Amino acid sequence: MDHRTTADDTIPATKANSMDESIPAVDRQSEARESDEQLMLAFAAGQTDAFTALFVRYKQPLFGFFRRRLADPAQAEELAQETFIAVLRSAASYQPTALFRTFLYAIALKILRAHRRKAAFRATFFGEQPEGHDPAGHSDPVVDLFMREAMAQLNKVDREVLLLREFEQLSYAEIAELLELPLNTVRSRLFRARSALHDLLLAPAPTRTPSAPATEVRA
Amino acid sequence: MIATTHPVSPEEVMALADGELSSAEAARVSAHIAGCAECASLAAQLRDTSESLSRWIVPAVSATLEEAVKVAAAKAASDPSPAKSTQKVGPGIWKWNLWATGGRRAIAAFAILLVVGSTIWVLSDQPYKRQRMMTIVAPAPGEPALPRQESRDVAGGLAVMEAIQQPSPQGFASRSFFNGGGAALKDRRSPVVHEKLASTVASSPAPLIARSVSLTIQVRDLGASRAALEALLARHRGYAAQLTVNTGEGLARSLESSLRVPDGELAAAIAEMRGLGQVEVETQSGEEVTQQHADLVARLENSRETEQRLRELLAQRTGKIDEVLQVEEEIDRVRGEIEQMEADQKVLEHRVDFATIELRMMEQYREQLGPQSASLPNQIRNAFVSGLRHGENTLLGILLFVEEAGPTLLIWLVILGVPGFLAWRRYRRMRAKF
Repeated sequence: MDHRTTADDTIPATKANSMDESIPAVDRQSEARESDEQLMLAFAAGQTDAFTALFVRYKQPLFGFFRRRLADPAQAEELAQETFIAVLRSAASYQPTALFRTFLYAIALKILRAHRRKAAFRATFFGEQPEGHDPAGHSDPVVDLFMREAMAQLNKVDREVLLLREFEQLSYAEIAELLELPLNTVRSRLFRARSALHDLLLAPAPTRTPSAPATEVRA
Repeated sequence: MIATTHPVSPEEVMALADGELSSAEAARVSAHIAGCAECASLAAQLRDTSESLSRWIVPAVSATLEEAVKVAAAKAASDPSPAKSTQKVGPGIWKWNLWATGGRRAIAAFAILLVVGSTIWVLSDQPYKRQRMMTIVAPAPGEPALPRQESRDVAGGLAVMEAIQQPSPQGFASRSFFNGGGAALKDRRSPVVHEKLASTVASSPAPLIARSVSLTIQVRDLGASRAALEALLARHRGYAAQLTVNTGEGLARSLESSLRVPDGELAAAIAEMRGLGQVEVETQSGEEVTQQHADLVARLENSRETEQRLRELLAQRTGKIDEVLQVEEEIDRVRGEIEQMEADQKVLEHRVDFATIELRMMEQYREQLGPQSASLPNQIRNAFVSGLRHGENTLLGILLFVEEAGPTLLIWLVILGVPGFLAWRRYRRMRAKF
């Protein structure tokens, strides 16, 4: 659950997502946080290697951010690319007072919202159907489908808070800043999301006949 | 999940697991959890949930992302200006662009059609809309032919009417033509009168013109200017046919008058009037009434001759009573016509002899610091009543507008609102899905 210092050793830190290897352990994370800002400032000063280092560090987490929220992996990759390009263009305006991670995910959220608005508009006025779930490339498509369906049943904001906490590893304060919510609201929504997800995960899986259509995946 | 009777809330247990508590709070909550099975169970439950979530693995990002970002980074480094988005344009956006392009073309085509159509419509304003009926004058048998220049146009655009009378079995008949539009006036005129008219016009030494002038003058002192005006009229043997002075409070004083001065004194009188103040507007016009006057004179003469013949007829011939009464009636009618024409002649000659001056004098307004005519309580009351009236009119206006436009707005609301609402609902639903 948490990779930072806990007061009680009986509550061990949860194993991180194995593919998000760029999320380091507790001690290194503090250094990486500082290093992220320094790298960004260096890139703003003209050092392209600094951006490369940032890219290597965040390419998988950012892709995962979009991949868990979108059904189409191609779109997830496209939006990740857009996010990095946006970071490139806004390097000059980056303020070291904000954490780079917060800065990065704020841009990602904006791009994601814009993408959702366009998709909804196209679906409303042009009749385009949202892309279905593409299980290709998943190591465990069943888990992926199951998780997506469980997540789809959560409240939209609760879901976002949970994802940002569990996978992007943002603090309550960072989540509050990104989603423009009060801190207590973040806390209560996160608890509610975890409780609801626990009940969903414990619920028996719905039976599905071979002829029944697949449920639309919602990230 | 857990009853809320503990000194530690479930969110605090969660926050402890997330490392979001301060040291002191963390110690307190940890101490409670160590001795509370329920909270410990909650903590375990939260751990399990996170453990389950951690199994949701995302595959590795492909190498194309790295390549694309490297290219973009290199481009950004070489060209600091903002580059265009490399986002792939999906079929939906392409469709929207098509729509936008097609819409612009349609609007441009419609605008061109509108301009061309309006131009054609304006240019096709046919002369038939303006009545210009020209007929060729053919003189009646036995009548001298009328030269073209005798179809006179009166200054100021008055329609010229000429009637040519032709003898007919009934004794009198008329044929008329007109030039420039207007109603045709049927006039009974004998050839003799026509000949006299022509001779009168031919021998007339100078045209008869009824002159009129309109003056607007701004003066400093209306009282003094009025006195000067009266002296001016006396000098030039004129008179005021009508005079009105306005002296409203809070307004500049003004004088409006209709003056008559002999035609020969007009120029001098106008010159002196200009000296009374600053001339703001001056208009002069002259209406030629030569033909009118000559026509009147000829008709009058004709009518007198007719009357004379009828009287001789009445005196010399004897006949039935009915015939005698008819002649007497005709004499009365002709006498009435003669008197009317004599009056018209006098008026016309007076208009020629005396020019008309429409004079308006306005005093320069000077705000006075004196006490207002209305008392302060009265002014306040008037303002209050006026405000209430305005409010009442405003509410009434709104009510009338709603009653008048309500049904129409309702119809449009149904026509546009229902599809709009459905589209909005669908859009919201689609957004929620994403």
